[in-house]
Amino acid sequence: MINYDILVTGVGGQGLLTLGSIIGVACSIRGLDAAVAEVHGMSQRGGSVVVYIRIRSEPGPVMPVGGADHMLALELLEAARYMHYVKRGGHITINDFTWPPPLATYPSREKLISEMRAKGVKLSVVNANDLSTKITGSPISANIALLGYALGVDKSLRDILTLEAVEVALEEHFSGRALELNKNLLRVAFEEGLKLGE
Amino acid sequence: MREHPLLRPRGSRVLLLGNEAIARGALEAGICFATAYPGTPSTEIVEVLSEVAKECGIYVEWSVNEKVAFEAAYGAAIAGVRSLTAMKHVGLNVAADILMSSAYAGVEEGFVVVTADDPSAHSSQNEQDNRWYGLLAHLPVIEPSSAREAYKLVKEAFKLSSEYKVPVIFRSTTRISHTRMPIELEEDIPATKKCRGEFTKSYERWVLVPAHARRRKLELMKTWSALRGEERFVTIFNPGREKAIVAAGLAYTYVKESLEILGLSDKVTLVKVNMPVPLPSKPLIGVLERAKEILVVEELDPVMELQLKDLVVTGGFSVNVIGKDLVPGNYELTPEAVYRAIAKFTGASDKLPWEGIDPVKTEPPIPPRPPVLCAGCPHRSTYYALKVAVNKTGLRNVVYTGDIGCYTLGYQKPFETQMTCFEMGGSIGVAHGLAKVIDNPVIAVIGDSTFYHAGIPPALNVIYNKSHVLVLVLDNITTAMTGHQPHPGTGVTAMSEPTTRIMPESVLSSLGFKVYTINPLDVKKAIEEFTRALEDFKRGEKVAVVSRMRCALEVLRDARRRRVVLPVYTIVDEKCTGCMACVKLTACPALIVEPGSKKPRIESVLCAGCGLCAAICPYGAIVTANKPSENWVEVWSKL
Repeated sequence: MINYDILVTGVGGQGLLTLGSIIGVACSIRGLDAAVAEVHGMSQRGGSVVVYIRIRSEPGPVMPVGGADHMLALELLEAARYMHYVKRGGHITINDFTWPPPLATYPSREKLISEMRAKGVKLSVVNANDLSTKITGSPISANIALLGYALGVDKSLRDILTLEAVEVALEEHFSGRALELNKNLLRVAFEEGLKLGE
Repeated sequence: MREHPLLRPRGSRVLLLGNEAIARGALEAGICFATAYPGTPSTEIVEVLSEVAKECGIYVEWSVNEKVAFEAAYGAAIAGVRSLTAMKHVGLNVAADILMSSAYAGVEEGFVVVTADDPSAHSSQNEQDNRWYGLLAHLPVIEPSSAREAYKLVKEAFKLSSEYKVPVIFRSTTRISHTRMPIELEEDIPATKKCRGEFTKSYERWVLVPAHARRRKLELMKTWSALRGEERFVTIFNPGREKAIVAAGLAYTYVKESLEILGLSDKVTLVKVNMPVPLPSKPLIGVLERAKEILVVEELDPVMELQLKDLVVTGGFSVNVIGKDLVPGNYELTPEAVYRAIAKFTGASDKLPWEGIDPVKTEPPIPPRPPVLCAGCPHRSTYYALKVAVNKTGLRNVVYTGDIGCYTLGYQKPFETQMTCFEMGGSIGVAHGLAKVIDNPVIAVIGDSTFYHAGIPPALNVIYNKSHVLVLVLDNITTAMTGHQPHPGTGVTAMSEPTTRIMPESVLSSLGFKVYTINPLDVKKAIEEFTRALEDFKRGEKVAVVSRMRCALEVLRDARRRRVVLPVYTIVDEKCTGCMACVKLTACPALIVEPGSKKPRIESVLCAGCGLCAAICPYGAIVTANKPSENWVEVWSKL
């Protein structure tokens, strides 16, 4: 029986709900039960956003602290904020992008990454914004790139969702040229993730 | 075009958001009428119904507020047309008057009132538990334990309503409404539905004058009593154990998870309740007879616990019922909170089975990230222009009353132009009372959708009862915070039909306000207009200002679709002195100061091109970095 929890975090507006939904559709395609818990409304306005994805039979939506097998973070400060949700020995895949809140003082990118590395988790820092821009012409698909990297890096996640199911899931969200670009982006990120995971 | 996920055939497996699942269930139940005023976490129920309305042949509307939405759907139900209305928890407060009366008069066909509660107040001003409304109105409350169960149970709710001829309250919560789950569709949406009704006159039933109301009350109490005998909304696992756990709604999933981890799944009686109000006495008395100790797990208030304790006292059972002593009554439930309660109840160790890595600690610490006005948000420009004009006019110690919407975020620095926020329309109503008793100038700030919802009666009151309040309507021509639903000022209905556009300025001027209409993106002119309005206000005139510009999120979306290039700004390093005026006066999320840097930069990915920072920069250091399309201004101003 599969019990696997994924925490998706970032800043409202970065495509977190889309990412959660794509993973949910992939679970559905794979015949797995899952719950993808989002928060809408005011918190989406540039606020800190968390999506819980719990892959298990009849899941409760809220994830316990220390329950996440893999955290996908679209932003560095949010990765650090929610890191304690990750199990000891769990995976963290982070988009190398810092988006500070207005008027805030905050730790540097280098400091954040070194602090996180010191925790002894399986940490992958990837540049999803750049890869998205390179392939689709805009950073708007960084969420898809991040998922591709994560699938490459984490064998358990790859076995549960499969690249093929995720590709089919993309069809629920995109069509035409956007679909082709995102499929390509997913695959390139996946290949790079595989190399990182080695 | 791809088929709408809501319309897939029987047997399909679809990932549905809880709210979509409720909508699909209602369609399968044969509704032909649905109404709502948008409100998180309820919005998507009627939003998706509006998307499929024409194809399904049903009627769907965004009503101006929850009371009106309730009345409309109730009107359909008393004429024999199955209907649904959906609202957020606090929306039911707005509709409470008709809710109470609808219980007395009843319905002719199934009528379900969805209340989407918001434990933890993720997107609300409180976390009230609307199951109390069931006890108050003597109406049944159905509470699903998951998005998937919401799909199934909404159909049962319609059946219950049709059978007993009373409205049924369907209580969802944020974690039901906003959770996606794979769902197998059990039935097709019926091709033919009853969409035309008939109003049968019955003065004794529909006219609640005191004599009729007294008779109807007795009818209602008969139904209430019969509902207690219902057994279909209670499921009992492992009957007969000494320890029993009674769980309502979502709490059930966490209870089940904890029992599995503790290896106690077979050791306790587990009672899943999907109708917490009125608590079905028959199946629960069976549990009370055999158990020695009962733990009640429910989210927020002890609604079920109190009814169960009542059964214990009335029936003289010797059983100990524990609830809120072990289960938190504030905020949404978590797996940890439920685990601890069950561990204590069963005598197991309450050491949590989940072990995470230690939190990251840095210096400076990770800054909090509350929601903020988006880059390019026209409210930012309005607030800036307002504050400059207030200074120019010499108004001191202005009190800004506020309201519900994205613009509530103006309570933050540097604007601080929202000093209260209680409920829809409250800005103007509270401003009136304040203006009667304080000497400060009072400015009521309200959004367009909120103005139509509940802002018009208090604006009327300001004129009638002669208070000195300036009304400022922030009009972005949409209901922005809930995801851009149309309203009476948009000129289009939920079913995408063109309709009369009702402008806030026409309403306000007909009430007797002198109205200024301004464009906040033309910063200089906006300040001039605001200043004129404030001068009039100082002289004692009745003044209102409507500041109109489209929501930046819609503008960005439309620009993408229409391939219009919007301006993107950049800071010329040689001209920038590092005075930080742009950063401090706008708090725009696209203006970033890197650690150690003395000058800001503009994150081009985030810049929406509103130009406020460029208008503020005293050194002319902020310029467009690209060549925008010639018609870019139209995307902002035209619908």
